[in-house]
Amino acid sequence: MISIDRKLAIATRIAKEIRRDRRSLALIIGAPIIVMSLIGFSFQDQKPVLNQVAPALIATMAMFFVFVLTAISFLRERSQGTLERLLATAVTRSDLLIGYLAGFLLFALAQSVIILLYTLFVVDVDYAGNLWDIIIILLIVTIASVSMGIFISTFARNEFQVVQFIPLLIAPQIFLSGMILPTSQLPIYFQKVSGALPLTYANRALRDIMLRGASLSDVMVEIGVLVLFAIVMLAAAAATVRKT
Amino acid sequence: MTTAENNVTTSSATDSAISISGLEFAYGNRPVLKGIDLEIPRGVAFGVLGANGAGKTTLVRLLIGRLKATGGSATIFGQKPGPELADSVGYMPQLNALYEALSVRENLDFFARMLGLSNTNIRANAVARAMDLVGLSDRADSVMSELSGGMRQRVSLGAALVHEPDLLLLDEPTVGLDPELRATFWQHFKEMTDSGTTILISSHTMDDAAHCNTLGFMRDGKFIATGTPDELRATTGKPNATLEDAFLHLSRSST
Repeated sequence: MISIDRKLAIATRIAKEIRRDRRSLALIIGAPIIVMSLIGFSFQDQKPVLNQVAPALIATMAMFFVFVLTAISFLRERSQGTLERLLATAVTRSDLLIGYLAGFLLFALAQSVIILLYTLFVVDVDYAGNLWDIIIILLIVTIASVSMGIFISTFARNEFQVVQFIPLLIAPQIFLSGMILPTSQLPIYFQKVSGALPLTYANRALRDIMLRGASLSDVMVEIGVLVLFAIVMLAAAAATVRKT
Repeated sequence: MTTAENNVTTSSATDSAISISGLEFAYGNRPVLKGIDLEIPRGVAFGVLGANGAGKTTLVRLLIGRLKATGGSATIFGQKPGPELADSVGYMPQLNALYEALSVRENLDFFARMLGLSNTNIRANAVARAMDLVGLSDRADSVMSELSGGMRQRVSLGAALVHEPDLLLLDEPTVGLDPELRATFWQHFKEMTDSGTTILISSHTMDDAAHCNTLGFMRDGKFIATGTPDELRATTGKPNATLEDAFLHLSRSST
């Protein structure tokens, strides 16, 4: 029971911290909407292009924002000494991981849903699938992303260094996951790299669901790869979460 | 069991709050602690005095179980240091280590919860008591960013003692405090040791040293002398020697 209380304490603390940071909260919701509007309204006359890009953009933003948010908050936990203080209590790895996941998941999902609804109903992207299927894919992406944030924060000493991981981890995925150019048109060696990137699978799954009305059972391979990636990232986060 | 003297007659390993023998620690090839022996009875304020880099923080981190000794051993209440002892040990790190967006009450409540006080009423009482003790009841709902450095330091102390531990490990708790606040802190510490709590406090100022029941002068990863403030002053052979004189005297004769 006590252990559940610790996870809950961490999750509610994170939620409280995000909620109080009004400007960040506004940016979390506002920035993706601006990006989506920019792309959405630029391609209004070229619907097929927009239909290809939008699902990928939803997945990219779900991964990107949560990653940066988690990496910076966990970095602060390390650099301000609160993690050191926490580790002098009976806190466990699972308390920290589950607490962090639960704390961020709520905001990440709210963000994803808002972007999704905006994309479907304001930008007016074609849409054939089930809304819940899309949310499940985004949930898996978010879990992987929170874990990746915790893991990567181990390698950064300050916020500046965290930001440097964005071009390293996110930008290649944007270019190689098929968001801009179909993966089949990439040089063969980049196609191989593309096959190893989680965003490639998230894009494919979301496109199949949104454009072709596929169900979850149709995109089981993509889901499998994403779940595997989430598990690997969770394990990496668990291995490094106690480092100060 | 209020003072060190009461414990002398029955001194055994488990009667000690802290028992350390031949403790060594190295960061890679660089030795930081080079064989520490120490017995701290219950209900005593023990000061670890030494310059920056002497190994004080390393010693404290070994005692909370964050570092693993490379040689020798340390026990707290007869047990190996680690999270299992979290109920009976309070730790105040050198950094304030608090959540900036949370209020005084929320910070203390969070750490109390992490320290296992899961019952809401018990926790609320513990938090109120801790805020009262560090004199911040009237600032309970101020967020950290609104507080002065000294106030933050007090919240940090409150977070270390919110679960009423039997042993407090305080890493330089008085750094940056004005004289008045320092006196207040020592008043708290005195009350706590009087009621049986053991306090290990690291510091590099001799102001703190004079308040401790016993002291260990640390230099280059070793204790060069331990004793009461009077005993250490006496080592200089001069009647009006200060603790600073004693430290310098002992430092020179140890090299």
